[in-house]
Amino acid sequence: MQVRKAVITAAAPDQSRLPLQQLIDAQGRERTALALIIDEATSAGIEEIAVIIRPEDASAYESAAESTSVDLHFIKQAKPTGYAAALTLASDFIGSENFLHLVGDHLYVESTNQTCAKQLINVAAEFGCSVSAVQATRETNLPYFGIVSGPRVPQLDRVFEIETVLEKPTPTKAEQHLITPGLRSGQYLGFFGMHVLTPEVMSLLKDLSNAPESKPASLSDALAQLPGRQRYLAYQLRGSRYNLGVDYGLLRAQLAIGLSGRDRDLILTELVDLLAGRLEGTHQS
Amino acid sequence: MNAFIETIRSDDQATRDRSFELLCNGLDLRSTLEVTGELDDYRRTEQNLYRRVRSLFFLSAIHRYHLPTLFSDQASNLIPHDGFEHLLSRRFLEAIDCFLAHQERHGASDGLSSALAEAYHKLGFQTLADQVRSSVRGVRGNQWMFRLGHPAEHPLRVRKELLPPDTSSEGTSLAPIVRETTAVRMDLSHSAWSDIFFLGMDFPEGARVINVSVDLGVKGRDNHTRPPIEAYFRVIDEPVVRLTSVDLGVTTDVETVAEMFDFGRDYLGLLKAALIAAGVVPPGLEGCGHSIERVLLPLVGPKRGIELVSMINDIPKGSRLAVSTNLLGSLISVLMRATSQVKSLTGPLEEDERRLVAARAILGEWIGGSGGGWQDSGGVWPGIKLICGTTADENDPEHGISRGRLMPVHTVLERDSVSQETRQALQDSLVLVHGGMAQNVGPILEMVTERYLLRSETEWSARRDAMRIYDEVVEALKAGDIRRVGRLTTENFEGPLRKIIPWSTNRFTDRLIESCRDRYGNDFWGFWMLGGMAGGGMGFIFEATIKAEASRWLAKKMVQVKREMETSLPFAMDPVVYDFAINDNGTFAELLIDDRATMPDRYHGLHMPSLLRTSPRDLSAGRRREMERVSAMCNEPSGSSLASRLITTLLPTPTTQSDSAESLQAILERSGFDTVAHESIRADLISGRIGLSQNRLPTNTLIQDVKEDDIIDLRERVDSKNTNLGEQAIREGRVAVVTLAAGVGSRWTEGAGVCKALHPFYRFGKRHRSFLEVHLAKNRKTSRKFDQAIPHVFTTSYLTESPIRDSLARHDGFGMADQVHISSGRSIGLRMVPTVRDLKFLWEETAQQVLDEQQQKLRQSVRGALLQWAKQTGEASDYTDNVPSQCIHPVGHWSEIPGMLRNGLLQQLLIERPQLDYLLLHNIDTLGANVDAGLLGTHIAGGQTLSFEVITRRLEDRGGGLARVGGRPRLVEGLAMPNEQIEFDLTFYNSMTTWISIDGLLRSFGLTREDLVNASRVDSAIRELASRMPTYITLKDVKRRWGHAQEDVFPVSQFERLWGDMSTLPEVSTSYFAVPMQRGQQLKAQAQLDGWNRDGSAAWVENLCDFS
Repeated sequence: MQVRKAVITAAAPDQSRLPLQQLIDAQGRERTALALIIDEATSAGIEEIAVIIRPEDASAYESAAESTSVDLHFIKQAKPTGYAAALTLASDFIGSENFLHLVGDHLYVESTNQTCAKQLINVAAEFGCSVSAVQATRETNLPYFGIVSGPRVPQLDRVFEIETVLEKPTPTKAEQHLITPGLRSGQYLGFFGMHVLTPEVMSLLKDLSNAPESKPASLSDALAQLPGRQRYLAYQLRGSRYNLGVDYGLLRAQLAIGLSGRDRDLILTELVDLLAGRLEGTHQS
Repeated sequence: MNAFIETIRSDDQATRDRSFELLCNGLDLRSTLEVTGELDDYRRTEQNLYRRVRSLFFLSAIHRYHLPTLFSDQASNLIPHDGFEHLLSRRFLEAIDCFLAHQERHGASDGLSSALAEAYHKLGFQTLADQVRSSVRGVRGNQWMFRLGHPAEHPLRVRKELLPPDTSSEGTSLAPIVRETTAVRMDLSHSAWSDIFFLGMDFPEGARVINVSVDLGVKGRDNHTRPPIEAYFRVIDEPVVRLTSVDLGVTTDVETVAEMFDFGRDYLGLLKAALIAAGVVPPGLEGCGHSIERVLLPLVGPKRGIELVSMINDIPKGSRLAVSTNLLGSLISVLMRATSQVKSLTGPLEEDERRLVAARAILGEWIGGSGGGWQDSGGVWPGIKLICGTTADENDPEHGISRGRLMPVHTVLERDSVSQETRQALQDSLVLVHGGMAQNVGPILEMVTERYLLRSETEWSARRDAMRIYDEVVEALKAGDIRRVGRLTTENFEGPLRKIIPWSTNRFTDRLIESCRDRYGNDFWGFWMLGGMAGGGMGFIFEATIKAEASRWLAKKMVQVKREMETSLPFAMDPVVYDFAINDNGTFAELLIDDRATMPDRYHGLHMPSLLRTSPRDLSAGRRREMERVSAMCNEPSGSSLASRLITTLLPTPTTQSDSAESLQAILERSGFDTVAHESIRADLISGRIGLSQNRLPTNTLIQDVKEDDIIDLRERVDSKNTNLGEQAIREGRVAVVTLAAGVGSRWTEGAGVCKALHPFYRFGKRHRSFLEVHLAKNRKTSRKFDQAIPHVFTTSYLTESPIRDSLARHDGFGMADQVHISSGRSIGLRMVPTVRDLKFLWEETAQQVLDEQQQKLRQSVRGALLQWAKQTGEASDYTDNVPSQCIHPVGHWSEIPGMLRNGLLQQLLIERPQLDYLLLHNIDTLGANVDAGLLGTHIAGGQTLSFEVITRRLEDRGGGLARVGGRPRLVEGLAMPNEQIEFDLTFYNSMTTWISIDGLLRSFGLTREDLVNASRVDSAIRELASRMPTYITLKDVKRRWGHAQEDVFPVSQFERLWGDMSTLPEVSTSYFAVPMQRGQQLKAQAQLDGWNRDGSAAWVENLCDFS
């Protein structure tokens, strides 16, 4: 299975500015979040990338993308009609190929020598089917993620056969339908914001976004229909994702990237200094 | 192998179902003790929960029912106090070890066995309760709530569509409201209480219920039927949880997590339990110390809160329709809808959602310290359904622990199995009523569990009958044969239910059934007991054409019978008849938006007065908008009832002197209430000169057990010379009986204030008989035997005199009118609000049974509220906030014999029969006391003034005993013990039964027979002796009834003088007779009845009686 193309979504009204934020990467260079996401994709051998954006953000994204070796397309979503609808805009771009999907408001830090996207594409290549990256997620974070469950693939530690997908379930539902054997109690497999998907998913998405539902469809709604139709796996990859959209999300992502790179000691020293100063301040008051 | 262990472990059903009696058959003392030793070893090592529990119940039953028949009366009988303390503190394992060690050292005895029986019994129930609790926690979907430890991690969110309009904008729209309406359930058969969790989990095959969801209306009050339960939810713009119970008329804003877990502080415990069980304030947060605002932040966002309102359309408590469980279900359902835990915000629930709501309701009941069976949330399901236990498979948390699952399976019977015509026919034939009694079913459920585990022959075959009847009821329903349904529910009630639990019925219910049969004959198709026991909610099934007439007649009949019996049985309200209709929705929700988003009218009646007192600037935008909407509604054509309701609540109603206050004053004046003495007691109470702690003898008092010579042991043998002497005295008419019947038996009915003497507590022969009837029947038997009518005096007080006179008149003196005399009580006291000092002394200084974890929490919280009540009302102020009969009290049984002197009854008796020399005085609840010739003869031969009967002590016999005080034997009241431990060193317990020589008694008052004509001389003699009697302060529970069969219990102060203190007077010669246990045994609480029935005491008493 070959994966050449990637789709990044960044058109949600409340998230559209996040990929434009400036960070310092592991090598100490000033980069935008978007550039880091594009790097993640290219590291896995992606050749063409489509970014779904709001029309008014076009110029900002073009400059934020920085110079890159891949073929970059910007697709504009005129109205915020939902996640599924945004993805379907890339269907012409995808054609009949498998594709990598990343969300624009997440950054990834690997904990091995392979980037997260690379790890995921390797698994997809090995099994030849759709694979979603997942990580063990505490139940308190359920309101933020799509959750999957299913048995482990025999002999493999980190690969799961997905049977159920629910978007932002309540802990009550999660406990009834989404328990994955082997995880600690109160932990579930939550989406990582990174998927390798087959073109069939695109047609499911189209069906969903054309359906007259009161609520806009999400990617999870489409993925929930996948297990009955074709093999669909989850891979608990070695790395972490950082959601820029939550409180202090950018700060946490920056710290994680910083601590994984060249300036680790410097950052730690600064942190200690900050803490010591604060303690002193507390003491004086 | 030990036959008990074999029975427990066997895989063969027949062996496993062997009865307790069969297993005990032929075991002598030595082999029984061997068996109990082996069983005790076995229960310590057995891993399987149910086997362990069954061995505990076997052990308890052997000690309670089998061993006592084998002991000789001479064995040492003391119970170690350490073990008792362990027992009170719920350290059951330690208590058992302590009692067994004592048994090892001093040998087995009746007293020790009573303690072991209690300890095993409690440990058995504790083990079961722990298992249910862990199963409830283990249900998938419930577990996360116990893990959540910090509000910031709250994983629930209220649905966006329920969030109110932005408060910053000048919008006028109201926050949307979700309204949930829910039915209640009535059960056609519960297969003999098979829905008790323990039964369902051990015997899933036998756990089957058929119940029907119904809408209700009260006949004559409501125009149409509707789902009786409503729950409302909305988001408000204040960061609190606002709770309102429309029916109870209470509301509160909960601001801290601690308040949310404090169930006893107000009447909103059920709403709080719902919020907790629904995961809105998950149980894991208990004790986190945060504000509710912190918890609400992730749920609804900053500066917002939630409001929960409950309404049950004034269905009275005790309806046996599971109103509270279904209300809990309704509240939980609306909360789970609002937080997306169930899929649909509106409409009915799906099956798995209903199951989840039911599981949460069970959790809520456990959290709230109550508990029913698993069928109770039946109103959440639609229509008619079968609810059945099921075996636990490997995916269930119960697997490997119990055979059955905690949660049953519900099968809704659709119209193809029970037709529309059948449903209609049921509605056309059934008269659904509330008889007016609101009793606690809890003890019955415990008895059922015990019976089930012991598999006693009659009861086990009754259970099989109940299972057969269940099958037949289902068949009859499917066949559309309502007449057969009626026959079957009657057969169920009169057969298996009554066999398993005789206490499931009562005289009131039996009389109603008899009346229906008498009046309607074959057109009365049957009686249908609802829920756990009869007397409250009940069904009467009639031929459809006469139903309307029968229901009108029944409404009148019930009130009439109630009027006759309300002084003897505890009624909480007047009986009512319901209209009902089968509900095909189960629980159902709708979303109210825009102008429809308003709370029920009565909600506004409750809230508006305080809102109007608040300056508009201090009201939130949401509140202001709501007030504007209410104002608009009042001007709409449909708003007139709301408008008039508001006017009524806002304007002051003319105050009239309330009838009860007036009549209390009148009663006090009429009964010669001594204001001066009352004020002096109040002053002493306030200053601390008297009080609970001052009741006690000085700590340096030397109190020892009596010596052998101090008692006359008549337990096994009475000198035949004395028996002859006694027989002769009876024949010569020299003895009379005095039964003390002035009290209202605070413990017996937990403060309900009915006349204990008239309580028809047990079926002797074919019907229930009261204490009074039993005492008369014993007298009849003796009188007939000796051919001499023995006069029988019942001493009364203001509280009991007219009920007893009425009852005797109605029953023609039970055939003994010429022998019966009523002694009118001449002293009453006015109860007082207790002092904080006494309340604390009672709760902190005296030994108290610690309750199960949740119930203990509830008790602590109620106690906090009671302390507040005492402070706010005024310590030692008059207790007048109740019906008059609950505000006054008799002043202790010491005053009853002086009463007979004062009111001239003794004089009259002596005139009628000058040969009268002796009186047998006994308590109303000492059922074994009779005019025994041997005892009378021994008293005569001894020549003493007073002979007190004492018995060896069992665990429940607390409250004093026979002791040597300062070297002289006397009776010491429990209240007077310097510390509670001393009582455990005393072998004998005071049964209060006293043989009195009349002349000696008069001498102790300084009187002679001739002086009795001189009222002032008698008065001053009594006053003089009274001043030498100690006055005890006691706290008694009284019930205060309000609303619709709601009851609160208040502890109140009163004072008493007690008869046993006559033994302290040096000039009165006394002796003490040790008598058999069954003769001196007293029935103080209804909980004792079951053991009393089973251990043969009831039969023993019946043998003393002649009811013909």
